[in-house]
Amino acid sequence: MHNHHPIYCILPPHVLKKIAENGTAGQRDRALHTMNISEQLRGRRNAMSQMVAFAVLAAGEEQKTRTVYDARFGSSLPGTVARKEGDPPVDDVTVNEAYDGSGVTYDLYSDIYGRNSIDGNGMKLDSTVHYQKGFDNAFWNGSQMVYGDGDEDLPVAERLFNRFTIAIDVIGHELTHGVTQYEANLAYFGQSGALNESWSDVFGSLVKQYNLKQAARDADWIIGQGLITANVNGIGLRSMKAPGTAYDDPLLGKDPQPAHMKDYVNTVNDNGGVHINSGIPNRAFYVTALEIGGFAWNKAGLIWYKALTEKLISGSNFQEAADLTFATAGELYGVGSLEQNAVKTGWAEVGITVDGGTSTNPGCLARVMKMFGLAG
Amino acid sequence: MMRIFFERTGGFAGMRFAATIEVDKLPEADAHTLRNLVDEADFFDLPEKVLKYAVPDEFLYTITIETDKKRHTLHTSDSAATDDLRALLDELSRRARAQRR
Repeated sequence: MHNHHPIYCILPPHVLKKIAENGTAGQRDRALHTMNISEQLRGRRNAMSQMVAFAVLAAGEEQKTRTVYDARFGSSLPGTVARKEGDPPVDDVTVNEAYDGSGVTYDLYSDIYGRNSIDGNGMKLDSTVHYQKGFDNAFWNGSQMVYGDGDEDLPVAERLFNRFTIAIDVIGHELTHGVTQYEANLAYFGQSGALNESWSDVFGSLVKQYNLKQAARDADWIIGQGLITANVNGIGLRSMKAPGTAYDDPLLGKDPQPAHMKDYVNTVNDNGGVHINSGIPNRAFYVTALEIGGFAWNKAGLIWYKALTEKLISGSNFQEAADLTFATAGELYGVGSLEQNAVKTGWAEVGITVDGGTSTNPGCLARVMKMFGLAG
Repeated sequence: MMRIFFERTGGFAGMRFAATIEVDKLPEADAHTLRNLVDEADFFDLPEKVLKYAVPDEFLYTITIETDKKRHTLHTSDSAATDDLRALLDELSRRARAQRR
């Protein structure tokens, strides 16, 4: 529900919302009744649908508000509305993929981590499909997701990329860039940028696993499976399990991702290799999830989510990410727990030794104290 | 003489994609189009970096153009490119994509 909607002009919307959310049943009824009166004053016909939506919100349920737009192969954003929340499937499979994929992503964040959308406050989920012609990409522009159709403009035999909505982990990846923007806001360059990318791959993969109800050991841990065509020698764009092995092709070259710190790639390209060195933290997560076992989104996912929302900062590097996920695991599951040891093993596997000294107080104070040589 | 080095990095796939375009070897009409786009973008007068804040997963471009008299390298991105530069990038991307086959 948005504050600017004319329905809320009589009583301040935040007051109505608070009453509906926190009031007694009687107060809630009165708030809804007030809304009804304001509707009658305006003579609107869809009062009931608004009321139902409000009642759902009042009952404590979070709201998923998806809109998929069609750019019709142009560059204007967001484009024309193709499907909005609650609409039945349309004929265009790309539109439905964007709709369903953003829905599963919303559900994972909401069901498992208690997060209400990208900003934690019910932000609308806007996606644009059919962006430009021959656009081999998908991105998050700061307020919405944008998807190209790959090589749709080339003959089938020459296509390397399919439409980017085809892989649900791509959708989870893009939305997670939004979550990161509202939380740690990891700077998109160098190691913090590679962490930004890695967190998107992690939750992209978890969205896929959650959708398939797959345990960690059964998942493929591939990013972009189905995205590259049969003309390419590869299984996807990245492998979290074995970074550097996703593709090896005469036209696309070889997957450049390192799986260990000793192979860290120093480059100015790609914002300092953000899509390349993300292989290192990606594998750390994979190993952690396998060590813990079960569904990866439950424990490993929660540790990574909490680290993103409560500990990591814009300039965090790999070492800090290792230390902070380790600290988070200690807080959630106990110091020396199986889960915390799994995190340690995960990072050790990629050549990073966690610093247990920060495990009990990794906050700002600890950093300052450490700077002045006061930390133990 | 005009030679263009086109390099695209970043993007969701994080793949490097590069091509060299020998403008003089193109059919006259195509060469003419490309020279016009370079002029309209004021390419040689642009700073070395035409960049804004980073947009996750967007494409990044490095374009070097050399003639008998001049040589200039420019770094830009999909979100930061001006409209005139955008037209040049689109044409170069299209040519580079055709050359990859």
